[in-house]
Amino acid sequence: MTTDLLPTAGVLRAEALKALSVRTWWALAIPVGLLAVMVNLFGGLFSSAVAGVGDGLPGILLASLAYALSLTTVFAALHGVVLATAEFRHRTATTTYLLAGRVPTLLAKAAVAAGVGAAYALLAIVLGLLAGLLGQGAAPLPSVGGIVMLSVVGIVVAALWAVLGVALGTVLVNQAGAVVVLLVYVFAAENLVSLILRSGTEEGSAPSAIARLTSFLPANAGDIALYDLPARELGGRFASSIVEGLAGVAGPPPAWGALLVLLVWTGAGLAVAWVVGGRRDVT
Amino acid sequence: MGREPDGSGRIEVSGLTKRFGTVEAVRGLSFAVEPGAVTGFLGPNGSGKTTTLRAILGLVAPTAGSALVEGAPYAELTGPARVVGAVLEAQGAHPARTARRHLQVCASAVGAPEQRVDEVLALVGLIDAADRAAGGYSLGMAQRLALATALLGDPRILVLDEPGNGLDPQGIAWLREFLRGFAHSGRSVLVSSHQLAEIAQTADRLVVISGGTCVYQGPADGLHGRPAVRVRCSDPVRLAEALAARGVLEIDHVADGGLAVAADAVLVGDTALAAGVALYGLVEERADLEAMFLRLTGGGVA
Repeated sequence: MTTDLLPTAGVLRAEALKALSVRTWWALAIPVGLLAVMVNLFGGLFSSAVAGVGDGLPGILLASLAYALSLTTVFAALHGVVLATAEFRHRTATTTYLLAGRVPTLLAKAAVAAGVGAAYALLAIVLGLLAGLLGQGAAPLPSVGGIVMLSVVGIVVAALWAVLGVALGTVLVNQAGAVVVLLVYVFAAENLVSLILRSGTEEGSAPSAIARLTSFLPANAGDIALYDLPARELGGRFASSIVEGLAGVAGPPPAWGALLVLLVWTGAGLAVAWVVGGRRDVT
Repeated sequence: MGREPDGSGRIEVSGLTKRFGTVEAVRGLSFAVEPGAVTGFLGPNGSGKTTTLRAILGLVAPTAGSALVEGAPYAELTGPARVVGAVLEAQGAHPARTARRHLQVCASAVGAPEQRVDEVLALVGLIDAADRAAGGYSLGMAQRLALATALLGDPRILVLDEPGNGLDPQGIAWLREFLRGFAHSGRSVLVSSHQLAEIAQTADRLVVISGGTCVYQGPADGLHGRPAVRVRCSDPVRLAEALAARGVLEIDHVADGGLAVAADAVLVGDTALAAGVALYGLVEERADLEAMFLRLTGGGVA
């Protein structure tokens, strides 16, 4: 890779200006904030999902924060999709490519989207914590270290999903289509695939190699990374099965392993966008 | 990757072919654009003009052949905005952004200083509308904004695709003067059009394409055909002999007893005087440009 492929500071600044001068970023921040507040305000709702495990433990607030962060990643990805496809929707791609080049544009958009995704995660944590303290006042507080750890993981996962969104948008080009593909994949397709992969494994027995593949799907990997810490606080030696239940996977790797999986998916997505977007005829 | 432009201001298209699926939009096209002149790129709708311009700008990958800008494919140029500015459609600005904001974003992307934004706004006459959202612009204003964007990097070459579309007569006249001024300052202009009348007044050189191939390339004057003079005189036979003696051989006798001579009117007049032939009428005719264009592009009878 030569330096010509990396976006200049000017190109980065241009993409940041573009992203921040339209409404999309704060329009998507609103549901992020609302969901973070609601999920954490009603943490009890969440604890019932964990089926009684660890009631009254400091992990509850961490778990509801992790759930809010998991939802936040979807909005981070949506923002990435909109950022990439807006160029084609408004027919500005020609000018952008002429001025900045295709690969620098892709990388600059990825960087800007990652920043916005990280900001969403930060917003979710701050609002989620405040709401959690208000709504779950009786529950013991998680440690500062735990909150910081979860925040770092949440920021990384949201940033990676935002980059995946840019890659998806660059490949598909059609804004409505890319949004639908993203939502259907995250909320339906991956769950369905996970279900099929796990179907061969008996309840309670060791997961088969095929069932273990569920941990290597991108949305699952992000969830595993997010739920790993709260699960350990909640369940101790049952942590693994809590993560399995929450993320819908079998035999999950540790958080760092799951982050690595998501990182590989993101890298692969960028590579596909690089090749497909680099060769596409812009007419 | 990353090739230094050679600073020549030249565009060189050689053997360019582009197929979209089964459609061959451009077929073995070759031509060059030189600095110091406006090169008109003329052809009927669907003749492959836009595809060719997009291939020059690296937006469309050639199936075969090449299109080089200052010695390198556009996509490999370092600092392309300082080499070429392009106006491809009344495009480029997000509808919610103001013209000034759009230009600031673009200036940042090409590394142009902030004050360049006001310079180009003034150049295209958009200062007063600079703070309005681009989505509310008329087609003519959008064209001006696109031109302003192209000028941000102060390029040596301008490429424009049908820039006259959407401009009112004053706008077209203004653009013509602008392009001629740009070219005569030693830079290059490649401007496409399907309207012969518009391009004929602007271009110094013409590249005419039809069906994806080049049918004429040369000075704009060259397309007019050679001059022809109709002569009525006292003695057509003697005049014809005298002209032949001076090397003018393309002489036709026409129905009314006169001559049609493929030569300059001055030469014919001088020859007649020297030969002692009285002239009753001397009419200069040029082959009609429109008819020539239609004949070249196969769009009508010559």
